[in-house]
Amino acid sequence: MRFESMTDAIGNTPLVRIDSAVHGLRNIDLYAKMELLNPFGSLKDRAAWNMARPLLAQAVERGDTVVELSSGNTAKALAVIAGMHGLTFKSVTNRMKVAEIKDLLLLLGAQIDELPGQAECLDPTDTDDPLTRMYHRLAGSGGGYLHTDQYFNELNVDAHLNGTGPEIVKDLDGRAPDYFIACVGTAGSSTGVASALRQHNPDVRVVGLVAHKSDFIPGIRTIDEVHEVGLFDPDVYDTVETITADDAIDGLLTLVRRCGTLAGPTGGGAYQGAVRHLRAIDAQLTERRTAVFIVCDRVESYMSYLRERRPELFGRPPRRNSVRTVTDADVRQAVTVDVAEAERWIAERRGLVVDLRSPFAYQALHIDGSINIVDELFAELLHGGLPFGRRQPVLLVCPVGEKSARYAALLTRMGHPDVRSLDGGIIAWRDAGAELVRD
Amino acid sequence: MPLHLAPQIDPTLRSALDETVLMTQLADALGSPLGVILPQQLADNVAAFRSVFSGHRLSGQIYYAHKANRSSALVRELAATDAGIDVASLAELQHALGAGFVPQRIMATGPKNEEFLWLCARTGVTVSADSVGELATLAALVTDWSLPPVRVMARLSGFTSTGVQLGSRRSRFGVSAAAVSEVLDTIAKHAAALDLVGVAFHLDTIGLPEKAVALEGCLGALDECRRRGLRPWSVDIGGGFGVNYLADGTQWEQYTSALTEAVLGRRAPLTWNGHGYGLRAEGGHVRGALNLYPAHRPVSGPAYLDRLLRTTSPEQRRPLGTLLLDNMYDLHVEPGRALLDQCGLVLASVLEVRDEANGDTIVRLDCNARDVSLEEHGVLMDPVVVHRTTPAAPGPAGVYLFGNLCLEADLITRRQVFLPSRPRPGDLLAFVNTAGYLMDFSATHALRQPIGRKVALYRDDGAWRWCLDEQYWPVHHRAEAP
Ligand SMILES: Cc1ncc(COP(=O)(O)O)c(C=O)c1O
Ligand SMILES: Cc1ncc(COP(=O)(O)O)c(C=O)c1O
Repeated sequence: MRFESMTDAIGNTPLVRIDSAVHGLRNIDLYAKMELLNPFGSLKDRAAWNMARPLLAQAVERGDTVVELSSGNTAKALAVIAGMHGLTFKSVTNRMKVAEIKDLLLLLGAQIDELPGQAECLDPTDTDDPLTRMYHRLAGSGGGYLHTDQYFNELNVDAHLNGTGPEIVKDLDGRAPDYFIACVGTAGSSTGVASALRQHNPDVRVVGLVAHKSDFIPGIRTIDEVHEVGLFDPDVYDTVETITADDAIDGLLTLVRRCGTLAGPTGGGAYQGAVRHLRAIDAQLTERRTAVFIVCDRVESYMSYLRERRPELFGRPPRRNSVRTVTDADVRQAVTVDVAEAERWIAERRGLVVDLRSPFAYQALHIDGSINIVDELFAELLHGGLPFGRRQPVLLVCPVGEKSARYAALLTRMGHPDVRSLDGGIIAWRDAGAELVRD
Repeated sequence: MPLHLAPQIDPTLRSALDETVLMTQLADALGSPLGVILPQQLADNVAAFRSVFSGHRLSGQIYYAHKANRSSALVRELAATDAGIDVASLAELQHALGAGFVPQRIMATGPKNEEFLWLCARTGVTVSADSVGELATLAALVTDWSLPPVRVMARLSGFTSTGVQLGSRRSRFGVSAAAVSEVLDTIAKHAAALDLVGVAFHLDTIGLPEKAVALEGCLGALDECRRRGLRPWSVDIGGGFGVNYLADGTQWEQYTSALTEAVLGRRAPLTWNGHGYGLRAEGGHVRGALNLYPAHRPVSGPAYLDRLLRTTSPEQRRPLGTLLLDNMYDLHVEPGRALLDQCGLVLASVLEVRDEANGDTIVRLDCNARDVSLEEHGVLMDPVVVHRTTPAAPGPAGVYLFGNLCLEADLITRRQVFLPSRPRPGDLLAFVNTAGYLMDFSATHALRQPIGRKVALYRDDGAWRWCLDEQYWPVHHRAEAP
């Protein structure tokens, strides 16, 4: 395969059988359309390229900024495409919830505009949704934008009507599957694929999956939000079913651990939703059927999402010398000194004063002669052992004397014989009128 | 399926509501509408905020935003606690001073006229200044009247974030955070009149990320102060901690889903004249945004403050609470709505119950939409029926609640409300948990109708007792001990 441009690698993704030993359906062949293998990482590469391509020449000539309301894959693909053409990309979002995706977009050179949260006191003049607000902003700016408008742009649907859908039919030897299951974000992929499949077999059953109302699954809409989507037409779907974040993660784990498919949450959700929907049908079948679901993107961008919801998946062995293992009894044994004694100890230059507060706070005001090792860093150092010799006397300082006492206890346990904590911390120091300096 | 939005009712409020005989007697004697205040609940709410402070080892003051309710009982009961008060008008300041607050416990916020500023300066309350002009006016008053220096906070707004551009609604109030040096120049110019004790913000948003950016912005401003040799020690993060009004999140989800369907015409309207609460249908799609208070808010009040303090600051990447403590700063808060959670209810008597030809049932109440301003504040929450006798027809009744003004718009609820049982004329509806803003913030004398009276209901000697709101003081005249 030899290409002139990375965009030529968009599409033509494989259709891969899911082992029946994994899904347990006896009469249904279940296939996954592997959209995660697109070059920028997702199904949305197709839509982004199809929407942007016809407008690029003009945009390059005018130096326009590409804009889209997206907090995920469309933004990612557009950022790459914009960059390839020397254009800037701006993503407008009402909340970028997944940290890795935000970081990746910034890395790709995208600008991110987050819209404000809801008012605490009701403002009756504020009736616009994010999309309307963005349209106003674009209209008010007097041009300079290439707005791909994925929620309303028919080219989003066409990318799948002419690409994803026909590819599935071709890989099934010219036949449409009996069942097609997909998650709904902009509805572009499910709408496009559904009409391509129905051209071959009007009886294809199409299942749309949306997130359960109180759940967040990055990339797709909840059952209420889906009605806001311009491309969403309820008649496309034989049924619209909901999946929870838990379903999505269960499915994701099955795909990544057993199917060699490094799917993201909506791929997992589509698998789980497909198997759930098909299981009831499977029991009644006497002949073989075929079903296809879409794996939209890859797992790597969702680590923080997964860590937050399933911390047990990331269990690591405990680290040595952890301050968390210090007991209250240990803390009571720690040596503390009051402000007057500490002032004397410092004046006589008896040892090292370590201020555990943040660098910003330390630089603003600190005890003269102290050094700053912020607690997180100090904790990290201690995992490796004592960062100073046992003969080096130490006074630890923190805001109220609690953290410093815990660290003093830990250092004592690690075998340091001469460590003490400032009782009441730097707040007591200040309140006693002792000197604070800034450089 | 009746779509209920059952209010969250905590034990104290529940026990007051169970006194049905007392409730009907009070409404009969004092008229409808009647505000019922539970001042003692306020002390519990202060304690709940305090425990968040101590959990983070933070010092600072809880200033009750007086604007949330005009009641005297609340302010006097509060004076008996260790909390402070945020006053936003001359009359609120007079009220606070008269209720027993010493000036050290009072913070003056909001737009101020010269009289208000003079009384602040004369008594020595802390002034949270909205603008450089206000500081200059205050300084001139202090100098002209030879007053001692006044403690001031500088209210900031328009904080900017790095990396991701976090949008924030534009505020009428405060000095742009970028222009903090102008404030400091003004303070330096009037050093004998103004004593800068901290910086402040109040953002009208439920969004934590915006508040995190603002709080970190305040730390930057305070650092600028320290660079100039000033030593302010506090950050005031304003109010807006929110209240959870509903007992059951599922009901809220079902209601809002049903509303979306109704707006799309897929089910019968849930509202008077098909009102969409900000949503509208265009070509089969929903447009607009739900313009309602998020009535089910599991993380609200003290828990919201705790969540904010645990939030990692966007730039320094350390929890905001830890950063405040590292810098030895006091944290001040100005909760209004959240401190009045579960602190009162409004009683209104039923004048008429009528079935319309189209099947709608109308309940006309002896109060108007300004007396129970659920709609104006976008809070959807069912009232509780206080029956005088056993209801004739048990089982839910879907009704619209009309007010007593000759205005088409005078609807206490624009949505059909499902009452657990059909009321009869003379029965009462209790609108619970309405002490914060929903009781008297908007009440007017239109049509020469009286503004509802208020009573304070309090526990003493194991029983509920009451008095007129203006008669209430935290000292209760108990019977001689035997
Ligand atoms: C991760 C993920 N899954 C599924 C979808 C749904 O695709 P569509 O927008 O075509 O409905 C999206 C769309 O943004 C997505 O980002
Ligand atoms: C300056 C200031 N502080 C505090 C509040 C109280 O806000 P809430 O009742 O939402 O806590 C307000 C409300 O408008 C305000 O303007």
